[in-house]
Amino acid sequence: MPELSPPPHQPNVPAPAPPDAAPLPQAGPDEVALVIDDRPVVAKKGTTLLQAAEEAGVLVPHYCYHPGLSIAGNCRMCLVEIEKMPKLQIACATAVAPGMVVRTANDRVRGVRAGIQEFLLINHPLDCPICDQAGECRLQSYESAYGQGYSRFQEDKVHSAKRYDIGRDVKFDAERCIKCTRCIRFCDEVSLSHELALFQRGDHAIIGTFPGRPLDNPYSGCTVDVCPVGALTWKPFRFKSRVWFLKNIPSVCAGCARGCNVDLATFRDRIHRLTPRANPEVNRFWMCDEGRQSYAALYDRPRFESPVERPAPGDSRGARDASAAGPDSPWDTALDRAAALLRGVVERHGAKALAAVVSARLTVEDLYVAKRVLGELLGVPRLAAPPHEAGEDDHLLLRRDKTPNARGAEALGIGAPSSGRVKEILEDAARGGVRGLVVVGEDLTGLPGFSEVLYDRLDALVVIDWWKSPTVDRAHVALPACGYGEFEGTMVNFQGRVQRLRAGLRPHGEADPVWRILRDLGRRFGLANEYATPRAVFEDAAAKVAALSGLSYRALGDLGAPLAAARERFAGAPAPGA
Amino acid sequence: MAFEPILTRNVRKPGSETIDIYMEAGGYQGLRRALKEFTPEKLVEEVKASGLRGRGGAGFSTGMKWGFLPKTKDKPRYLCVNADESEPGTFKDRLLIEKDPHLVLEGIILSAYAIESSLAFFYIRGEFHQGCRTFEKAVQEAYAKGYLGRNILGSGFNLDIIIYRGAGAYICGEETALLESLEGKRGYPRIKPPFPAIVGLYGCPTIINNVETLANVTLIAERGAAWFASIGRPPKNTGPKLFCLSGHVKRPGVFEAPLGVPFLELLNEYAGGMKHPERPLKAAVPGGSSMKILPAAKCDVLMDFDSLAAAGTSLGSAGGFVMDTGTCIVRALHNVARFYAHESCGQCTPCREGTGWLVKILTRLERGDGRPEDVDLLAGIAGKIEGNTVCPFGEAIAWPVESYVRVFKDEFEEHARRKACPMRAAAAR
Repeated sequence: MPELSPPPHQPNVPAPAPPDAAPLPQAGPDEVALVIDDRPVVAKKGTTLLQAAEEAGVLVPHYCYHPGLSIAGNCRMCLVEIEKMPKLQIACATAVAPGMVVRTANDRVRGVRAGIQEFLLINHPLDCPICDQAGECRLQSYESAYGQGYSRFQEDKVHSAKRYDIGRDVKFDAERCIKCTRCIRFCDEVSLSHELALFQRGDHAIIGTFPGRPLDNPYSGCTVDVCPVGALTWKPFRFKSRVWFLKNIPSVCAGCARGCNVDLATFRDRIHRLTPRANPEVNRFWMCDEGRQSYAALYDRPRFESPVERPAPGDSRGARDASAAGPDSPWDTALDRAAALLRGVVERHGAKALAAVVSARLTVEDLYVAKRVLGELLGVPRLAAPPHEAGEDDHLLLRRDKTPNARGAEALGIGAPSSGRVKEILEDAARGGVRGLVVVGEDLTGLPGFSEVLYDRLDALVVIDWWKSPTVDRAHVALPACGYGEFEGTMVNFQGRVQRLRAGLRPHGEADPVWRILRDLGRRFGLANEYATPRAVFEDAAAKVAALSGLSYRALGDLGAPLAAARERFAGAPAPGA
Repeated sequence: MAFEPILTRNVRKPGSETIDIYMEAGGYQGLRRALKEFTPEKLVEEVKASGLRGRGGAGFSTGMKWGFLPKTKDKPRYLCVNADESEPGTFKDRLLIEKDPHLVLEGIILSAYAIESSLAFFYIRGEFHQGCRTFEKAVQEAYAKGYLGRNILGSGFNLDIIIYRGAGAYICGEETALLESLEGKRGYPRIKPPFPAIVGLYGCPTIINNVETLANVTLIAERGAAWFASIGRPPKNTGPKLFCLSGHVKRPGVFEAPLGVPFLELLNEYAGGMKHPERPLKAAVPGGSSMKILPAAKCDVLMDFDSLAAAGTSLGSAGGFVMDTGTCIVRALHNVARFYAHESCGQCTPCREGTGWLVKILTRLERGDGRPEDVDLLAGIAGKIEGNTVCPFGEAIAWPVESYVRVFKDEFEEHARRKACPMRAAAAR
């Protein structure tokens, strides 16, 4: 399963044979009993030797085989010996058969593997020191595990095209390519875009595109993921970090309602790339380019480091410059002021003059605390989340709905993102009906019903967001929140699957996670709960919200779990793109 | 030479490629008889009984191959004719296609009837311009006479033929690469199993037969399995065979003889002996460029599948070539290796990388930059290719390299030691 992580450097020494020859274990009706490296193995009928071996803990090295792609059988690295068959057979394309006796690591097999390694490297530039793949390269891993460690090749290498743009975001180095055709198969079978093909023959064979049709599809980055060597590299990641410095944190992409599982790779407190993490229920092995680069906003958009206050109409205390903070921290004063402003609106106009725009891009934890504090403690009558839509649902992963936690907002009772409800609130604000507005995680600019004039009509505008948006610039109190990668929590994807996002970065400046900012605001309105961690928030939510019942961070694990309502449907749902 | 040529009985007649000349000599009588007297099953039995083995190179029993088709008939079955003859030194199918296309065509119709296929594909080597034109004309003639099309000779059997020209890749003569090419894809051999008889062209059961094999089916239908089985070296090497002989012989060409004819008889009687009387035989490759070499001393062999296998080589496509004592074996192997490096499709690692490596070493050796370790390295590389590739192309390069180096090791070592080609040095003096 961990297809996308580099193969381990394992010496592949066969396990010591049991004292007696392993007897064939009992196999069920849909099963096959066989022996792999003296271990009795029971495998499902129709599985390949490679899969059966892997399940039995025997790693058969391979380049061209990928669990998400068709079988090519061209690298020949997985050749294994099967008793009664004169030639070695490729484990990736050989189905298990009853009574098979397979050897994956005897001298003959190891000799052939070393030979394949030697062949693959004779025309390879051996430029590991300047290759981005180094550290997660199968050629490297397998050479150290199975290679002879030297080459008998003393001729001129075949030279070929180097580091050219084969597509918008992908560079190609034909000299590093081992022609495993994973990238071609990806474009033919998964993205269905068919840009790549092999040209020429023999040791001059080269992957290429057709004239005027570069590699440019919404999933082109996956060709880089499946490339087992450094031939295809992701331009935004080139030369950013050696992979062994990267810390991979299992998380979830927040780019759309799919919620692709990702590894968030960080080094020196910066995200350097997102790569898909296999989850058969959600994204299999893939993710879109848009999601892959979604973290870039973190570095492209302006941030603000600490709370900002501005004068508000009728605010007797006046604004305070955060930098001129007195003995209290700017957070305390800003939160005090936000509470005071909102209280002032309630005193003058009643709670009905309050409204809140919250984002369906926030986590379940954020939204749950928002509901409790704003809805229940402040009595804000209207909480609405705006929809964000772009493009269309496609055949693979991309969703028109760009809010990663719309189902979560729905489950928590905030309601599904609705442009009608947001429009109503903003128009009321422009008319003067709403006097106090709390905006969490959204920029009002461009939302339905938005007009600049509403800023002048508000007595209290409290904004919590991770970046310095135009709305933040107009807020009476703006509170900096954690950006993507800085917070942890859960989101519910469009299938109703609850998945965990994890933090890999320190918060920017004094930024705080939204749920904690809201909790601290809530304390000023009598919130009793401690809510020390997002886990504690989630546990409270799971205890009180029916849709979340029975769920816990532990139950979610790395692959998530369906909402109570979705649990039944999930049972028979096919994997996406299957 | 008491043997009466039968595969080549028409080829010398003027207008032999026309249906009239073909029918004058009794052509299409076998088809007429078979459609009347034989059920498809019976015809398969007849071909099995004849002992006919495939003439394309592997020598597999044709009847048995047909028997591998699935019993169910939920999918169409196809017959593919492998007319992509491209082994260097092999030019026997070309003779039949150009000079007696109806002999082949009748065999195709019979075979399609036997395997119950109503669509046959004729995959012809792209460079065979004349052969393609000739065969197209033959197909038109056969349609006009009712030997092709609907309800052939009132039997209820239908057959159409599609002629498809290859684009010049040797590998497309490998049966599964041929299928890929026919489907419009890059000519890459497929992983087997599944075999084409189960999953072939467009995913349907498919039989792929060589041109000469199908011509022999015509003879079997015409004269019977017993007659066929009496020719050659029964029970396992039966029938007439076309042998190509080229190289240092007086009269290079295609010769028909029963399977099992002695190689030396082919050389000395059919091909007129060595080209230069002062330079005797040094070595021969009886089966074709992808087969193992035999030194002169071991050339006293019978030309059939099993005798040649016993002698450590193979009949292959019977594209034999002969080298006299003026031949530099290193240069000969260099020539063979260059061909295979050029034609390696590049799909799987050992062949893609190995063939080019072999050529580079051989180029150095022949140029005078050899190293002592090169000789073992050549054999070592061949050994890493053989048996580890997707298709038999791996063997097609490994076998010549392994055998040339083994049989003529001194010559290779001398090249490395002297840092020169001794033959060239001698010629320069």
